[in-house]
Amino acid sequence: MRVAIEARNLSRWYGNVLGISEINLEINPGITALLGPNGAGKSTFMKILTGQLKANIGEARIFGEKVWNNTHIFRHLGFCPEDDAFYEDLSGFEFLCGLLSLYGYSQAEARGRARQALDLVELSDVGGRQVRSYSRGMRQRIKIAQAIAHDPDVLILDEPLSGLDPLSKRRIIKVIKEFKNAGKTIVVSSHILPEVEALTSEIILIHQGKIIARGDIYFIRDLIDTHPHMIRIKSPQFRQLAKSMASEDYLLKMAFEPENQAVVFETHDRDRFFNRLNELLLSSPLVIDEITSPDDNLQAVFDYLVGK
Amino acid sequence: MTSIREKGYHHWEGQFLEKQRTFWPITRTGLKLAFGRKHFKLFYTFSFIPAVVYAVIIYISERLEDFKSISQGAEKIFQINPNFFKSYLTLDILYFAILLLMSIGGAGLLADDFRHKAVQLYFARPLTKADYLLGKAGVVIFFVGTLTLIPAVLLYLLKLLFAGSFGFFLAYPGLILSIIACSLFLILFFTAFVLLASSLSNNRNYVISIIFGLYFFSEILRGIISVIFRSPLSALFSITANLKQVAAGFFQVKPPYDYPWYLSFLLVSLFCLLSYLVIKHKVRGVEVIK
Repeated sequence: MRVAIEARNLSRWYGNVLGISEINLEINPGITALLGPNGAGKSTFMKILTGQLKANIGEARIFGEKVWNNTHIFRHLGFCPEDDAFYEDLSGFEFLCGLLSLYGYSQAEARGRARQALDLVELSDVGGRQVRSYSRGMRQRIKIAQAIAHDPDVLILDEPLSGLDPLSKRRIIKVIKEFKNAGKTIVVSSHILPEVEALTSEIILIHQGKIIARGDIYFIRDLIDTHPHMIRIKSPQFRQLAKSMASEDYLLKMAFEPENQAVVFETHDRDRFFNRLNELLLSSPLVIDEITSPDDNLQAVFDYLVGK
Repeated sequence: MTSIREKGYHHWEGQFLEKQRTFWPITRTGLKLAFGRKHFKLFYTFSFIPAVVYAVIIYISERLEDFKSISQGAEKIFQINPNFFKSYLTLDILYFAILLLMSIGGAGLLADDFRHKAVQLYFARPLTKADYLLGKAGVVIFFVGTLTLIPAVLLYLLKLLFAGSFGFFLAYPGLILSIIACSLFLILFFTAFVLLASSLSNNRNYVISIIFGLYFFSEILRGIISVIFRSPLSALFSITANLKQVAAGFFQVKPPYDYPWYLSFLLVSLFCLLSYLVIKHKVRGVEVIK
């Protein structure tokens, strides 16, 4: 299979601040997710891939061609930045047409492609409205539209699902998967694991500018599952609940919050914990008001994985 | 019966046009945005008033007998020579109109891209920095060109047309080249000036302040230095004085200030070069890191 994206010893820093360090990887057609907390180096990596940043060391290649200072390769590349990047005074349609013209399309072709892209992200009905009047979700979708409008072979999407409502999210996930089925290469960055799980099983974990793990979602899940999880349960019978769970061997710690009528469990086997909780709820008249995971965020998982 | 197309991804099988004018879509968008701004069209139309007045002067100059009552005592005004064209290209009101138009339609050329982080969208496309800057410069070139080069050349052609002979052309054979060279110099200066101002801030209002601030400050500075040192070289501190001095050089007429015109030419050229370096640096420096 032809390697779509290659990074060789890729390093970039900003003064004393490290962006990414010695990243070596190959990405094949399909969807690959770049997963990492904020500041992990995802955007730096993507900006190097899209030719906006020069790596201090190493190089990035797309379809075997160097990215830096090679504008030709950008015909095959679609980029959706994380930040809003618009001409607010233009309509969504004009915005897309303007950007499509930069690829060398004729005006008629650009208009046709712009309409199709608006259609894909379901913005056809508001395509004539000024971008400044768009909601957060619409702005996210028009950003994705500009990335896909020229039918690129490689799509780089920086947090493409952030700010989308569930329906829009589903629609965008469908579009991204259609691109994958057409044999394209898609790199998606995110710091939200469930979002990534809905898109792909091929995941690269990036943290503090380094790739700390790569594999399919099950491998990553296993890694994450070794991380002790905290589960906070709010219940009027929180002491009874704690008593029922106390004998379980996968439970590492319990802490009470009497003022909130809550108990915080720490476990290294979340699945078994929730199975036991389900059994308890079915077999006894326990009432639960709320279940939350105080450390259920990627930062905690990454800190654990890198041994902090 | 027409087939129902499923809404979804469809591969595009067309061909890219290998056009070399990659800057043009940027210029086109810039022009569209400028004309879309409030009152811009009105100000742009008013900016042609000096050109219309000069055209009327040319018309009268060819029919002095018919307009005796107007022209009496003001014959100098109706003398069409290199000084006449130089005076059009060095009108204070023309420079002010250009700056006013550029503050409305040009202040955001780079500033808006920086503010909206749109630069990253450009450079993820088959576009070089030179294309990008040329595209942005194209907007200023268009407006300054339509207020300097085109009217000045049209005035020249009008003179030839009304004269009905090549006498004027033969009397001043190099005049058309002077008009073109001077206009191009003005275009170059105003393009550098506006783009430099636009690159110095993300806020279009600050850019407008920079444009007018620099323009008027240079005049005030010249006044102060002139009073203190009583030297004609104080004109080197003024934007308009330098442009007028260079224009005199292009038209080979007596410069308004008592020093060689090429000093102003070198100074303005240096300013344009420095502006280019600053703009290039600013555009390259747009790196959004998360």
